[in-house]
Amino acid sequence: MRTSLNEIKQIDDYLFRHTTEADHLLFEARLILQPTLREKVLWQQRTYDIIRQYSRRKLKAEIETVHQQLFNEPEHHSFSRKIRAFFSSFDSAQD
Amino acid sequence: MAEMMVTEDVAAERKAFFMDLYQKAFPLVARYVSSMGGSFEEAKDVFQDALVIYYEKLTTAPIELQHSEKAYLLGIAKHLWARKNNSKQRHTSLDDSLEGIAATENDPASSTEKLMELLNTAGQKCMELLRAFYYDKLPLHKISGLFGFSGTRSATVQKYKCLEKIRDTVKEKSLTYEDFLE
Repeated sequence: MRTSLNEIKQIDDYLFRHTTEADHLLFEARLILQPTLREKVLWQQRTYDIIRQYSRRKLKAEIETVHQQLFNEPEHHSFSRKIRAFFSSFDSAQD
Repeated sequence: MAEMMVTEDVAAERKAFFMDLYQKAFPLVARYVSSMGGSFEEAKDVFQDALVIYYEKLTTAPIELQHSEKAYLLGIAKHLWARKNNSKQRHTSLDDSLEGIAATENDPASSTEKLMELLNTAGQKCMELLRAFYYDKLPLHKISGLFGFSGTRSATVQKYKCLEKIRDTVKEKSLTYEDFLE
């Protein structure tokens, strides 16, 4: 792998603790000495956060599809009726 | 095209999984929320967040359930409901990783929203790969098959390439300092 990818991998290993204790300490020492590396670590952390947000949205969209299917398709009519019965003042504009 | 269909298979598996959980557990949650004076919409929101949390727990570590899946989901939903209705206390014992689930509908003008939009279009292929690795935590050989790589090594290399690409995009696009700190 090219150098920049190796560095990405090292940061990945560091952040997810896939390293030995010795390597972890070594990396922390590098972080103290190299501000640019520190900055890259921060951006990579931010990237993992973005990946999680992206993935949650996708997952929620998948769950919503299931919901729509259960509440709109005739074959699930008895299920949706059962649920709707819990909410007496249910707004019929829903779904 | 072939690889796309395999990816869809995994999505279909997930769909069947949620369909099953919905049918088993949503009635319990809906009854609970309604007994607490909540609406259908609120029951739906709480339940869907509970499903996300459950899914994330399953991908992180195997759970040994003391009770049934539906009892577990009801437990999470009750917790979420309590939190939602106790908003004066901003921080509860739920760990930080759960923060943000409820906050997915953000201000559309925020830089995170713009970034998401961009990643949804320009970066989608990489994002799907990274999702499989970091969120769904699928095993390497499975990812390799799903995305049509010649082997686990090339899947790994591609993961790092994507990570680099997305990191560059994130850095380039996200930037107001406030956003970075939030």
